[in-house]
Amino acid sequence: MVVRTFEEEMGYLEKTSEYSWRIKKGFQPNMKVEGVFYVNKNLERLLIEELRNSTRPGSVGGFLPGVKQIANVAALPGIVGKSVGLPDIHSGYGFAIGNMAAFDVSDPKAVVSPGGVGFDINCGVRLLRTNLFEKDVQPEQLAQSMFDHIPVGVGSKGIIPMTARDLEEALEMGMDWSLREGYVWAEDKEHCEEYGRMLDADPSKVSMRAKKRGLPQLGTLGAGNHYAEIQVVDEIFNKSAASKMGIEAKGQVCIMIHSGSRGFGHQVATDALLAMEKAMKKHNIEVNDRQLACAPINQSEGQDYLKSMAAAANFAWVNRSSMTFLTRQAFAKQFNMSPDDLDMHVIYDVSHNVAKVEQHMVDGRPKTLLVHRKGSTRAFPPHHPSIPVDYQLTGQPVLIGGTMGTCSYVLTGTEVGMNETFGSTCHGAGRSLSRAKSRRNLDYQGVLDKMKKMGIAIRIASPKLVMEEAPESYKSVDDVVNTCDAVGISKKCIKLRPIAVIKG
Amino acid sequence: MFKRRLQALEYEEYDKVDANNLQHVKKLVSWLENQKIRHYKIDDRGAILDIESQQWPATYEKYLEDVGCPQFETPLDKVEWLVGLAIRLEYEDNRDTYRSIKGTKKKSDQPIVKSTNPLDNLDFQSEDFKKGVSELAKLLNIPQHPNHLITLEACSKFICKRLNEEAVKNPGSVIVTGQPFPIMDTNAGFKIKDPFLNKAVTILSLLYIQDLRDLQTKINEAIVSVQSITADPKTDTKLGKVGT
Repeated sequence: MVVRTFEEEMGYLEKTSEYSWRIKKGFQPNMKVEGVFYVNKNLERLLIEELRNSTRPGSVGGFLPGVKQIANVAALPGIVGKSVGLPDIHSGYGFAIGNMAAFDVSDPKAVVSPGGVGFDINCGVRLLRTNLFEKDVQPEQLAQSMFDHIPVGVGSKGIIPMTARDLEEALEMGMDWSLREGYVWAEDKEHCEEYGRMLDADPSKVSMRAKKRGLPQLGTLGAGNHYAEIQVVDEIFNKSAASKMGIEAKGQVCIMIHSGSRGFGHQVATDALLAMEKAMKKHNIEVNDRQLACAPINQSEGQDYLKSMAAAANFAWVNRSSMTFLTRQAFAKQFNMSPDDLDMHVIYDVSHNVAKVEQHMVDGRPKTLLVHRKGSTRAFPPHHPSIPVDYQLTGQPVLIGGTMGTCSYVLTGTEVGMNETFGSTCHGAGRSLSRAKSRRNLDYQGVLDKMKKMGIAIRIASPKLVMEEAPESYKSVDDVVNTCDAVGISKKCIKLRPIAVIKG
Repeated sequence: MFKRRLQALEYEEYDKVDANNLQHVKKLVSWLENQKIRHYKIDDRGAILDIESQQWPATYEKYLEDVGCPQFETPLDKVEWLVGLAIRLEYEDNRDTYRSIKGTKKKSDQPIVKSTNPLDNLDFQSEDFKKGVSELAKLLNIPQHPNHLITLEACSKFICKRLNEEAVKNPGSVIVTGQPFPIMDTNAGFKIKDPFLNKAVTILSLLYIQDLRDLQTKINEAIVSVQSITADPKTDTKLGKVGT
């Protein structure tokens, strides 16, 4: 590989508008298409700084800088459009987190890559509304009640009894399993991406090891950046869209659940990476980064991964559905009212780590694409057939979870996003400090005290790791969301402020 | 009501039968049994054929029971049913003959259903009828379509939805109390230059969304009805474990 100075590297990057940058071919070898990333001033500084640090002599280890990763993805076989970096982009395994890349299914060379989905398959966000207002709730009590109902943390185990057979069925049926068993409402399915079930899931393609890891973890929140938050509406940007979502006024209480497929998805991804390395030799695929292990979509290795990934996606939906059930129980007990009377409907449920087959326009022609969204949320415009009927006029709700102590957002999908990013937008704040760096630089008691000062009730299984998730370790979610809004790939609808958090 | 069917059965006085006249009924029933239904053996038909007997009404009731007539209130319904039975038997006896008959006109392909509903025998194209529909529409405050039958359909929808028993008792349940919504400002998903056409497209797309909503509601109802059989959510807190 050629070693270039920072200035030389910058020659391949071109600022094309206030919020967007172009990555020209040649920035990394074999780029099939160009790259693009969307940033505002603050986010731009972070990304460029990261690139500058990587060009310093003697800097080794860690992931490649985000912009380099976007370019490496642009070099994968079969990619169409552009390799897109969303404003919350930061380095990850192979693909950066906050990278969208689409591959032409009809191209026999086009690939699917587990690194483009991530280890936490179908990690996502679900938002429930209530008819309660801030004055009706006691954050401390609610936090405790949620903490008592939802198992959290590393090694936590769920309280919904599951046999191995139940798990097989759940992997195949996704949210339909939760529906059949009565854990969720019919309307929940309606307001869920893919209606809570990926139809090509095949549990037989999933290793025993993954199933063993997954079984006891169903219905648990997990650790890391996952959380359940009680939030209140802080600002409404689009009144009619908010009203379609059942959000009427400031102060209305919502519950956000951010979780994924736990150890199950992690094992599926790990298994797949091994299989892909072999597949690459077999099919003679060369990539710029070993972490970009991949296989042709239409070969057995690619298909097997997609089927097991779909099973993991279904696992995550059952997981979020189980926690929805537990949350409704917690609220029902706390307020002595049925969840129905509390109007605890699911507003929407999005996945931000998944690959999906979708129809898009490429150069004015409809094409079937496999869209990888890693740390990126689908954001379909009004009138798209894949979004629920209730949101046909508003566009798909896009749920953006903030970090502990910061705000979260509901955005809506737009026509611009459909054309520019194959209907994709950001997913959250995005890390700015690595976990290790956060542990070194921050003190956990300080983080907890700060939460207290902000009036946020917090219940946490492992307080000593809380600094990894402190707001200081992340980019500003406001910067991220405002950039998406300014570019027009999604529009701001509602801003939510946390009043209670439970975490692993 | 059954004039044409009796004519088809070749009953002599087909146009004079009055089901409320016992004499008529006696004559018709005995004729039907003897000629068409033949439920009893010839030797056993004495009682039902003896129309002068005082016992005839009781025999008639017994006969109805024997041929499997459901319990009807009025003599008309009973006779009606017997005539129907006779027609069926007659058809079955000559099935092959009838099967080969094909309509000469397309219209007669469809079986002519002789309805007992008096409304079906109205002349829907008469001026009188049109005037009635128009007045009904005015009364209900419904705009009129050039085709009065479409206007009638709209009236019927309105009455079924808004003026049914439930709705009249509790008007709040059907009157939508939503917020006014600037529907003409919505984006229909595509733009057409002609403003009138655009307006029409917007309305159609909104109606389409409403249809979708109805469909989704029905799907949800189906799921809920299945859930009433399958659902049994359980939790077992003993299984739970909080992590570190």
